[in-house]
Amino acid sequence: MRNTMPKLVLGRLSSSLLTLFLVSLVIFAITSLLPGDTAQQILGQFATPEQVAALRVELGLDQPALLRYWHWLSGFATGDLGMSASNGMAVSQLMNDRLPNSLLLAAITTAISVPVALLMGLVAAMRRGGNVDRVLNIVTLSMVAVPEFLVATIAVLIFAVHLGWLPALSYVSTVDNLGDFVRIYAMPVLTLCCVLIAQMARMTRAALIDQLDSAYIEMARLKGVPPMRRVLRHALPNAVGPIANAVALSLSYLLGGVIIVETIFNYPGIASLMVDAVSNRDLALVQACAMLFCGAYLILVMVADLCAILSNPRLRNR
Amino acid sequence: MTHNKQGDDGFVSPEQSLQVYRAMQAGLSRRQALKMLGAAGIVAAGSGMWPGLSRGWAAQAQPEPKRGGRIRMAAHSSSSSESLDPAKGSTAIDYVRAYTFYNGLTRFNEQLEPQPALAETFESSDNGDRWVFTLRPEVTFHDGKSLTPQDVIYSIMRHKDPGVGSKVLSMVEQIGSIKALDDRRIEFNLTSPNIELPSILAISHLVIVPDGTTDFSKGIGTGPFKCQEFSPGVRSVAVRNESYWREGYPHLDAIEMVGISDESARVNALLSGDVQMINNLTGRNADRIKQGDGHRVKATNSGNYTDLIMRVDQQPGSRPEFVEAMKYLFDREQIKHVALRGYGEIANDQPIAPSSPYYFDGLPQREYDPERAAALLKKAGVSGARVPIVVSPAANYSEEMGQLLQQSAAQAGLNINLNRVPGDGYWSNHWMKHPLGFGNINARPTANILLSQFFASKAPWNESGWKNEQFDQLLVASRSEPDVAKRKQMYADMQTMIHNESGIGIPVFLSDVEGYDARIGGMDQTIPLGSFMGYMCAENIWWNA
Amino acid sequence: MSETHAMPHRRPGLSPHQASRRRMSQGSRLPIATPARRNKPRLKLTRWIGLSVFGAWVLIAIFGPLFSPYPMGAFVSDEIYGGMSAAHWLGTDYMGRDMLSRILTGARYTVGLAVVAALLSSLVGAGFGMLTVLLPRWLEEGIRRIFDTLISIPSKMMALVMVSAFGTSIPLLIIAAVLSYAPGAFRISHSLATNLATLEYVQVARTRGEGRFYIAAVEIMPNMIQSVLTDMGMRFVFIVLLLSGMSFLGLGVQPPAADLGSLVRENIGGLSQGALAVIAPALAIGTLTIGANLLIDSLSNSRGSQKE
Repeated sequence: MRNTMPKLVLGRLSSSLLTLFLVSLVIFAITSLLPGDTAQQILGQFATPEQVAALRVELGLDQPALLRYWHWLSGFATGDLGMSASNGMAVSQLMNDRLPNSLLLAAITTAISVPVALLMGLVAAMRRGGNVDRVLNIVTLSMVAVPEFLVATIAVLIFAVHLGWLPALSYVSTVDNLGDFVRIYAMPVLTLCCVLIAQMARMTRAALIDQLDSAYIEMARLKGVPPMRRVLRHALPNAVGPIANAVALSLSYLLGGVIIVETIFNYPGIASLMVDAVSNRDLALVQACAMLFCGAYLILVMVADLCAILSNPRLRNR
Repeated sequence: MTHNKQGDDGFVSPEQSLQVYRAMQAGLSRRQALKMLGAAGIVAAGSGMWPGLSRGWAAQAQPEPKRGGRIRMAAHSSSSSESLDPAKGSTAIDYVRAYTFYNGLTRFNEQLEPQPALAETFESSDNGDRWVFTLRPEVTFHDGKSLTPQDVIYSIMRHKDPGVGSKVLSMVEQIGSIKALDDRRIEFNLTSPNIELPSILAISHLVIVPDGTTDFSKGIGTGPFKCQEFSPGVRSVAVRNESYWREGYPHLDAIEMVGISDESARVNALLSGDVQMINNLTGRNADRIKQGDGHRVKATNSGNYTDLIMRVDQQPGSRPEFVEAMKYLFDREQIKHVALRGYGEIANDQPIAPSSPYYFDGLPQREYDPERAAALLKKAGVSGARVPIVVSPAANYSEEMGQLLQQSAAQAGLNINLNRVPGDGYWSNHWMKHPLGFGNINARPTANILLSQFFASKAPWNESGWKNEQFDQLLVASRSEPDVAKRKQMYADMQTMIHNESGIGIPVFLSDVEGYDARIGGMDQTIPLGSFMGYMCAENIWWNA
Repeated sequence: MSETHAMPHRRPGLSPHQASRRRMSQGSRLPIATPARRNKPRLKLTRWIGLSVFGAWVLIAIFGPLFSPYPMGAFVSDEIYGGMSAAHWLGTDYMGRDMLSRILTGARYTVGLAVVAALLSSLVGAGFGMLTVLLPRWLEEGIRRIFDTLISIPSKMMALVMVSAFGTSIPLLIIAAVLSYAPGAFRISHSLATNLATLEYVQVARTRGEGRFYIAAVEIMPNMIQSVLTDMGMRFVFIVLLLSGMSFLGLGVQPPAADLGSLVRENIGGLSQGALAVIAPALAIGTLTIGANLLIDSLSNSRGSQKE
């Protein structure tokens, strides 16, 4: 068993590399298929064909597509993310400016949403069918049924415009003390938590209830094991796999999927960098972001799968 | 003959404006200064020609600007691709930054007349073929370097290098050569005469950068503010240039600029006090901002329009009756009222706004007339047909206009299918490429630039593919016509031709609507070129707090 | 805009080896009052609520446009963001159009598209998820790689490339939604099925020489149907919200028509004054998605209780 885990991790990592390669290939293909290129996007509405042609040469866009992909790939393999074609800055520099912001937002959201969601799911499962469960069910469904941009806009209207407690924009650069920090992150984190907590709480509840429905828990109940202990000692360990998977998939959304929050609160994160890069057909930047999101997703899923495998020894042989 | 603009109504000669300018620096108000010149006639002519725009400064004394303060302004778009290279400017925030960190040889006043800026004087010895600009002495860049003719030559000529990716290559192409006559005088030789060169040199793309600059990330210019921080797509911070050549300017200590693309978010940021100035508002939100005491709204008609493009070289636009019918199908009042909530001005299928000195007011207004349109459609043989029109979020209000047109066209028995395409890549992939679609044209500094770029037969962006030799001849002739009355007549003829024949339908001019904190002073000045006071607000506003 | 970096949602339900124990325990008929039995009255109530709310929306989607008081695109009022009135029961929108008419027409797009897209993504995702565990190892790996790749492509890029390559149409909108959401469904059902495939009775069926489709349909599917259904419920919600983002990019619903999500989006400016134009479609989305989820919950729960 000690030998199988590292082997598993190694196997997953190597297949992750393959996935990353596939993603980069597909992203490249899509970028080439999209009408318009960086030169046209830079020159904008009022570009002349001669200008576009000249700028293409300048940016190296006149080279064959596969050659350009090869340049990018060989650079990436050696850790060089290349230059952003649309503003001439190094991609690593652009990412460097924004990635910490995204990671911080993701970390705070995770730290708040995961415990709350697990707790809600746990309580709902323990009080299954009761009023608490019913209320939590409606609450989580409502949270997920309100569009994110509506939640964010309502929050701004209430807390920033009417009450004036919180700033409408989230500037990372103006943080001086803990108070500022809380004020700045309150609304973005609240908005993100709405979506994530609902998702994760529902999944936790479902996974636990499946366990509680099973025969061995009924046996424990008949033996007189108290309800708290039944859930925490018997059901929970077996539900870890599914819950971990649910959490991992929800969290993978926190890097690339938070564009609405970044837009409404003007938070300089990596998701809006990606969206800009797509609009600008900035291949190197799109690729770097895609690799980041895909890598984060694969790592999260791998960790979840490892949890699942640890909880179900039969899977180790697969 | 020295090209002398004195006597042309509407133009203040460089010498005159310099005098006014110096007098103002000496502490006189602009109005007093003009009076001193004995140029009250100019003021009258000016305000008469600019209905509703220049009344502000002609009628009342300017309040005293305050020094100090820091504001934050939010523009409607911002992207990680933005740069401080003035040649690459593509959105309002880029233009504002260009005028904040740099200066042009000339600058626009409220009448869009070119005034001396880095050039102390400018003159043309013939009718606009050869120009001599004399640089202001003792101007230094933010890094301490002195301004020389070499900087000017570099700054202008670099636009001709296609690799620079300049947005105004087409405007610079007419400049054949530039040479330094001595250490202050620079001679421009044009390939064909253009009396409007000083106006062209005032646009934000043609501001002056130090000779040889290739890295623009520091924003080194001669402008009123220095760049303290610039992070593309995030924010920039401008701090006062203590050694600015224009004495008494700027008023503010610092300006922070950000981009907030979501309109509700932008409005909320203004209302919550996080930013003090925002642009690109729709009428609905403008009304919301007005409701409060602490904020004001400013709407400027600078000639920005969204137009229906009917390619006259393709079906059905190749049938003149169809084109005419479509123009009659615009319910302009409704478009202004419903789509713009009143923040616009009825247009007449020609692109020159009433604020332009060349606006021809004798052209009869085309009204909404479904019966006439139905008859024309029948004549064109397309009544009862189903035609697709391309709309996009990229062309402001085109979705709303398309929907309104759809409704009114149904009255005349024409079925319109709207085809919404993404704003992403719209200009390179869709604009002018469909038989029927929408375009959006921002204000140009002069009528001639506008017509040359969008209506001349060989214009790169001749949206409808309309070709008219007579129009082309008038356009070229107007560039070197020294007599204003004759020039105006030429422009009137050109407007009539566009109104009657071209495949462009312009229902309304869109106002640039800005919201700002009531404590910002100086907002009664208007430079009708675009939002943020023609992008030149940085040195003209102050903070009353 | 909801640029939806394909949002993975996973709701793995039962841990399968426990499910099999339950299967095995069925024969022994332990005299236990199962929780499902205890909750029968509640289940009936939620099913009834879910069914009536969702059913009402289906009826609105089918017949709503017949009852709309005005044409959906007609400019009928001078007042924008108008409140409730006799002429306009749900007020007017940002251009003075009748909100009730717009919602009645918009519901058709949202309900129809989201139901089809959610069903298809679950069908594709779960189908592949189950079948792959029975395929040779290399093929399974290959299919997994493909779905992992799909989930990593930003849906904005996907939508843009589809618009430019194939133009715009409703079927295309569904395909884009399925491409965005099937990979998530695949991951969930695949990991559930992986667990199930290791169990004795599946191994027995394989050694019996049963066909792959038989094993998937008879041995695996019934033991994960709950999770697949519930996952579909969540997916339905996200597809409803995804539609407006896609329409904004020009994929799908064309003006003057608008789906419910786009109705919220285009009227968001009225939020500060509490305009019905934004509240009404938001409530419509809320009731539709909550109704659908209650119905699905009760369906899967009732299956569970039938089994006992």
